Amino acid sequence: MDAPSAEEFDRPGHAPSAIFVENLTKWYGPRQALKGLSFSIAPGEVVGLLGPNGSGKTTTLRILTGYLRPTSGKALVGGVDALEDPAGLRAQIGYVPEDIPLYNNMRVAEFLSFMAQLKGLAPAAAARAVDEVSERLELGSFLKVLIGKLSRGYRQRVALAQALVSDPRVLVMDEPTNGLDPQQIISTRELVRSLAGVKTVLIATHILAEMQKMADRVMILLEGKLLADHALTQGGPTRRIRLSVAGVPEQVQALLARVAGVRSVECEAGGQDGAATYVVEAEPRAEELAARLAGAVVGHGFALAELADVSTDLEQIFLSLTRRQPEAPL
Amino acid sequence: MRGFRLLLLKEERALFSSEIVYVLAAMFLLVMGYTFSVALFLNKTASLVHLFFQMYVLFLLTVPIITMRLVAEERRLGTIELLLTSPVSEVQIVLAKFCAAMTLILVMLGLSGSYAVVLAIFGEPDWGPIYSGYLGLFLLGAALSAIGLLASSLTSNQIVAALASLGVFLLLWSIDDFGFLLPDPYDALVTNLSLAAHFVPFATGSLYLSDAGYFMSATLLGVFLSVRALGRR
Repeated sequence: MDAPSAEEFDRPGHAPSAIFVENLTKWYGPRQALKGLSFSIAPGEVVGLLGPNGSGKTTTLRILTGYLRPTSGKALVGGVDALEDPAGLRAQIGYVPEDIPLYNNMRVAEFLSFMAQLKGLAPAAAARAVDEVSERLELGSFLKVLIGKLSRGYRQRVALAQALVSDPRVLVMDEPTNGLDPQQIISTRELVRSLAGVKTVLIATHILAEMQKMADRVMILLEGKLLADHALTQGGPTRRIRLSVAGVPEQVQALLARVAGVRSVECEAGGQDGAATYVVEAEPRAEELAARLAGAVVGHGFALAELADVSTDLEQIFLSLTRRQPEAPL
Repeated sequence: MRGFRLLLLKEERALFSSEIVYVLAAMFLLVMGYTFSVALFLNKTASLVHLFFQMYVLFLLTVPIITMRLVAEERRLGTIELLLTSPVSEVQIVLAKFCAAMTLILVMLGLSGSYAVVLAIFGEPDWGPIYSGYLGLFLLGAALSAIGLLASSLTSNQIVAALASLGVFLLLWSIDDFGFLLPDPYDALVTNLSLAAHFVPFATGSLYLSDAGYFMSATLLGVFLSVRALGRR
């Protein structure tokens, strides 16, 4: 799968990108971390940046947040260029760095107020923002606690709170579920999903399963290059089921096409005992799809000879893409 | 400007919530009190010259401890990433840290002012050398803080930062001895790098623009290089 060019995303008639990256390169001494990276993210999208360790995810995020300067190329957030106006770019972004860096000697409320004011809020507005974000992230009873005394889960919440406290248009998160317990992972996922459509969210991670549940789209990065850009909620052939059904092909095809969640049905070569093989493409999040398909076939009196999930899921894409090339040196 | 004020307040809170600072201030005052009393009873003159030389040495030893954590700790904890992804500039961050260190130095100088008050109550001191001595200590403190800040900006290890700045201070303290060994014109060049050569006139009541210029140049150079060090990433 070829990486789409930036021009494809920003062609006339399309909504302006919340994040726009074109031919981005970054060298660390003799090592090239990014090799001409180009992508675009529309406002309100939740996008996952996937890749093994050393693939350039964190470097990309650090350039987009104004922490690192690219060696060459263009990085724009909300139309603001990272090189021309780094302060303007930073003002639009809420950033959750990878290792949850926080001031351990500050209390939660003091820290959140400091970050809100640092991002330009007046003291009174900052106090209101702290109240709102602490209520949203259930930090209300921890506002007077020293950050150094918080558990990892609550530190992660505080890190999220500081990113959201100034109500940024773009939220950038680096491995946000690292080290969290299952309940905390679910909470983080729900929070991110609640931001979809409201804020543009870019999440770097190496956990595929999380992205399938959180993101609208994933981009797969390897050795500083974009290998794939894959939609999860629409457009992409993310769930495929193969059925072998005995019956009139046109009738079976029409029947399968009516099942909820099914996008298309293709009739392939004939199967065993006069049965034809059908490949159903469906939405990736279609629940109990196999059971519904089987129920429809059997319920209408057709004989079901075989049913197999042959989904081209994210893991398969990721593995097939990353196997093609040797592991990036760390 | 608001960003600078916020950062300065944060730095001052961090500095004054650290027990190291209080131990440092207590030791500073203890040694100063001892020197002041001994010099007063031995010489029986209303002068602070001995005290100024004592403070000069104490600054060389204590400023590395004050400045070592300024940037190195932010680098170690990763919080530097929070600051540098906020809409504030490297100049604001460095100036806030420098001014926070100077606040502590001013507090220490202010506390040592009690000895001048004692002299004023029980004697008739010559105020000229006292004013110039304090001005010299302020300028010395600024130069040392800027150099210490630079050392802290270059590493994530506080001990390395403290030892590096202490090494530079001790070198600048004793470099005039090395200068005396060199032929003309190198001897003047090296001797003029000496902290002592530029501080002694202040402590003894002589004000020269060249001495003030030396400390101010060192301060500006230290702050400028700290900004560059923070921008190098």
